Amino acid sequence: MSSTERAHDPVGGTEEEPAGGTDKEPDDEAGTAEFVQEWRNAAYNCYSSGHKFCREVCPVMQVTRNEVHTPTAFHANVVAMEKGLLSIADVARDYVHCTGCGACELRCPNTLFTGDFYRFRTRTVQLVKAARALAVDEGIHQPGWQRWVEATSRQKSEPVLGGEVPVSQEHVADWAAGLDLPIGGETILFCDCEGAFHRTSVPRAAAKILKAAGVEFGLMREQWCCGGPAAEMGYVERAKEFARHNVDDWRAVGARRIIVFDPHDYISFTEDYPSYFGDEYDFEIVLFVELLAELIRDGRLELTNPVDRVVTYHDACRLNKRKGIHAAPREVLRAVPGITFKDVDHVTQWSYCSGAGGGLPIERPDLTAEISRRRVEQAAALDVDTLVSACVWSERPLTEQGGKRADPIEVLDLLEIVALSAGLED
Amino acid sequence: MTATMVTDPVIDELIGICGPDNVFADRSSRVNRARVPAPFPVHRWAEHVPDVVVLPTTAEQISEVVKLANRYRIPVVPRAGGTGLTDGAVPLRQGIVVDVKLMNKILELDLDDRTVTVQPGINMLKLNEELQKHGVIYPDDPASYPCSLVGGRIGTSGWSLIGGRYGHTRDLVISFQIVLPTGELIWVGDGGGRKVRKSSTGYQLKHLFMGHQGTLGIVTEAVLELVPRPEAEFAAFFSYPDYETAWRSTGALAKSGLATLAGVVLFDEWKLAYLRRDDEAYIPQPDDVRCVVATAMYGTTDEVRPGAKRLLRIGKDTGGAYLGDEISQGDWASRHDRYATPLHGRLRDGQVVPMSWHCEDASINWTQLPAVREKWHDIVARLGDRFRIFDDWGMFAYTNGAFKPWGDYLTEIDVGIWEQELDDEAWDAWVTAKRDIAAVSIAHGGSISACHGACREGEVDLVPEELGGGWDVMKKVKRVLDPLNIMNPGKYLLDQAYEDGPS
Repeated sequence: MSSTERAHDPVGGTEEEPAGGTDKEPDDEAGTAEFVQEWRNAAYNCYSSGHKFCREVCPVMQVTRNEVHTPTAFHANVVAMEKGLLSIADVARDYVHCTGCGACELRCPNTLFTGDFYRFRTRTVQLVKAARALAVDEGIHQPGWQRWVEATSRQKSEPVLGGEVPVSQEHVADWAAGLDLPIGGETILFCDCEGAFHRTSVPRAAAKILKAAGVEFGLMREQWCCGGPAAEMGYVERAKEFARHNVDDWRAVGARRIIVFDPHDYISFTEDYPSYFGDEYDFEIVLFVELLAELIRDGRLELTNPVDRVVTYHDACRLNKRKGIHAAPREVLRAVPGITFKDVDHVTQWSYCSGAGGGLPIERPDLTAEISRRRVEQAAALDVDTLVSACVWSERPLTEQGGKRADPIEVLDLLEIVALSAGLED
Repeated sequence: MTATMVTDPVIDELIGICGPDNVFADRSSRVNRARVPAPFPVHRWAEHVPDVVVLPTTAEQISEVVKLANRYRIPVVPRAGGTGLTDGAVPLRQGIVVDVKLMNKILELDLDDRTVTVQPGINMLKLNEELQKHGVIYPDDPASYPCSLVGGRIGTSGWSLIGGRYGHTRDLVISFQIVLPTGELIWVGDGGGRKVRKSSTGYQLKHLFMGHQGTLGIVTEAVLELVPRPEAEFAAFFSYPDYETAWRSTGALAKSGLATLAGVVLFDEWKLAYLRRDDEAYIPQPDDVRCVVATAMYGTTDEVRPGAKRLLRIGKDTGGAYLGDEISQGDWASRHDRYATPLHGRLRDGQVVPMSWHCEDASINWTQLPAVREKWHDIVARLGDRFRIFDDWGMFAYTNGAFKPWGDYLTEIDVGIWEQELDDEAWDAWVTAKRDIAAVSIAHGGSISACHGACREGEVDLVPEELGGGWDVMKKVKRVLDPLNIMNPGKYLLDQAYEDGPS
């Protein structure tokens, strides 16, 4: 059991300094009022229920067991802010404790039972993002996130740690060395920061698969971070700068279709970008794993090399819980010859997570490590040698925990497995 | 015990006991542990904010916290899931909230003597995820099954949806360790053996330390019953043209003597009307369906299959129309979630507004159900006449006996309240209505609460009347075990135990 975090020094019920640094007085009540107005009914819908079905599926809560880290608290805080009982300064640090996985929304009775009738669903992930944005607007910063976003702004890519190549614009396409990929065209392969600078085998596999299947595509002239992490950490204006650049770059090369393999990018391009640009935004966003399933199904990509591994699949939260995508990755895995696939159904996996999302690893690496350790243990109980993921961000903490075991479990990306089977590995 | 003195030295001592990571005095930690889903005066939230929260990890730490509280005369409020439908975990006089959620381990699984020993912060669904790998389950199955915790189940003496077959919390908890209000750690059960189900040694203390709503201590470890994971399940829903027929059929089904029958649930006309009106999960039925009865059986295939035939025959012979396999299986499974469904209600002009669900429960004998039902609906109707924020969401009656699903029923009326509009006048009217509802239960030979507890504002006023001479014993017990009124003070009118001065 990882230790819980004490938000700040206890002072016996008097007012405290807010968590994190502040660069101005949090007396800007207009921002809070607007936030409360926007979220008050959604917050009451949760507060009215108060039953916390979300709690035991929440990956963070399963570790900290702390009620202030629950979706219930995230909603109740809005009611308390309306009543003047809490301010954003009191709760900003609590909102760090969310990976944005979306499990709570699926388990919420509001979503399950009244959604269709009232055209309403619980949107805890958006609420958390909004609260984080409010905190930033009021000058309350989480130090790790602030540094991360500043570095991203400087380098145009996330400051991915321990990467194989140094993070900078000049190296953003180093992963593609020797693949002879064109720039521009109607279809663009977007490579996220973790893939570009750390797990380069994933974008390489993606590019080789596309080439082998005869899919024409190019790279961006100048690819920046998708902006999703900045948006998740509350730095919305920064996120929009990244988005603007990327969209302009796509237009400049005449792109119509963007292929992404990272689920986080997929969320950015299908949820954040449309909210930034409205009708102007008319790109087709293709999720690699869905395209891949189609290529295999249509016989355009042949998997011939047996892969002698016993595997289970880790449902990427942003695919399974946020987008309802769980069939395609399984279809691909089942098409790999020689593999033994021990599946765990996608609903059971609502309560699984790697802990790598929502900026958690930057501010609470201890929690990410523990969430990943538990995920790897769940795989180990199935007697597998490999945990397959379709989310490059999940693979770093899962790999770390899998390697720590006396009986190690290897973590591979689905695309890496497919490249092996198609004879495309480096 | 009135003024609270949680000062920096007290907090330093708490840190010394629980460790620096497990003591929280920040506003968010305290404000978020002030309430439960029970009717809560949201406009008076600030009055219920505790001074400090601790998340201990051992029984010894809890014991030391309680001893410290006695030294400084600071109230202690135990909190497990915080999912209760009475206000056991709501601090009435600030103080120290002892939140047991970090204590959620399985300590021992004994497949030979059929027990599992757990810490109080574990949830039943999570526990059963582990147990089912071994072919057993812990069959305590409240509507809050996915979120409530074992400690709270003991503190409230919970009721289980399948108790007619497997028993309720008090039947399923074999023994437990508890920190007394003065800080001593003791084990209670039937006699002294921790895994013994039946003993006649000494007083039966286990029951005394269940359902006290945190006024007699904090559970720190419990030995629970294991049963074979059911091989077969059968659910049947029947519809009826009127309440009288449905009520008689409920009685016949419950008295069938079928050993695998886990529960019978009667939905009245108001409930059906509410579901039709506002429940997304409701599967449309013809207008002449006015009441529904749900049943479920669990056991081995050899028992359930022939039992199901008998059950269907009784349902039909007593005027019920079987609603079909799809509805029966699907709807029964989702009964767990009906708990939290009604999140919106309507004003009398039909306007949809966000409403909280409030549920008044009582134990009522079968013969009294029709009369109680009329009176309860009248009370809520009068409330709605005066304040637009109240909406009658109908009644359920669930079989309430352990192992024998007949006799009395957990009877509940669900009321929607538009809390955003709640003020002192409406709150007072609500409290009065709750008292009136409780008075009806007592007048009909029932009990104020079957499972939530009877310590909320309003109904609590009638506890002395319901218990009679037992109430005097209850006060004496409280005063002897908790001489300084440290444990959850203000609950259950137990301040009366101290009226003639400190002991």
